Amino acid sequence: MERQLTLYNRVEELSRLTEFVEQLCDELSLDAVLSFNLNLVLEEAVTNVVNYAYPPGEEHTLTLKAQAEGDMLTFILRDQGKPFDPVAQAPDVDTTLPASERPIGGLGIYIIKQIMDEVSYQYLDGSNELTMKKKISQQQQTETTDTE
Amino acid sequence: MTLTIAEDNGTLTGALAGRLDTAAAAQFAKDMQPLIDNAHRHILLDCERLTFISSSGLRLLLTLRKETQSKGGDITIKNVPAEVKQVFTITGFYTLFHFV
Repeated sequence: MERQLTLYNRVEELSRLTEFVEQLCDELSLDAVLSFNLNLVLEEAVTNVVNYAYPPGEEHTLTLKAQAEGDMLTFILRDQGKPFDPVAQAPDVDTTLPASERPIGGLGIYIIKQIMDEVSYQYLDGSNELTMKKKISQQQQTETTDTE
Repeated sequence: MTLTIAEDNGTLTGALAGRLDTAAAAQFAKDMQPLIDNAHRHILLDCERLTFISSSGLRLLLTLRKETQSKGGDITIKNVPAEVKQVFTITGFYTLFHFV
C-alpha cells in the first residue's frame, strides 16, 4: 500500500499532515500508541523542513510518501531545500542534563531516531530525502471484527 | 490548544487542552506569559486534556522550568496521559519536572 501527501512549507499545513497520518494509521489498523508516535515523528520531520530547508518567505512544496509492505512501514520525506543531513548533523542530545543545562532546541531528530527502527538520509537529484522505517508487529495492529 | 490559568489556594494552575504541537506553539508561548511572570511561585500544570506534545511544546515547558528554577518557584505536572508521558520519558524531560 502506498500513499503520498504534498505540503507547502508552512506551519499551517501541519494539520493536513495530522489528517494524513491519522487516516493512514486507521487504514492499517494501527494501535493508539503507534499512531501517536508516528504522528509525532512526522510532525518533527516535517517541522524541520518547514523551519530550516528554505529561506524565510519562500514558498515551496515537500512530499511525504508512505509505503506499507509486509510488516514494514516506510516514510520518505523529500524536499528541494538546502542540502542538510539531519541524521549526521543533528546535535547530540544528553537527556541526563539538569534543566539549567539542557539546550532549548535539538530534540526533533532525536525523537525520530528513538521511535523509528531505521532512519537514513540521502541527497539525490537535488532533493533531501529522509527515510524513516518502523516495523509493525501484530500486537500494534488492533483487531478488527466484521459485524453484520 | 488552550491554556486556562487560574488561582487555586495560592497555587497558580494552568490547564492545558488539545495539541501542544508546532502549530500551537507560537500562541502557547504568548498564553503562558502569566506563568513566566509568576515563575517565583508554585505552578501546577494539569495535562489531563493534553492530547499531544511535540518538541515545540517541550521546548516551551523547558523555558518555563528554567524560569522557575532561576526565580525560586517550582512546577508540578499532573494527570499526564500515557502517550504524552512517554514523550517526556524518551527525551529525558521526565526527570526535569515533578509529576503527580
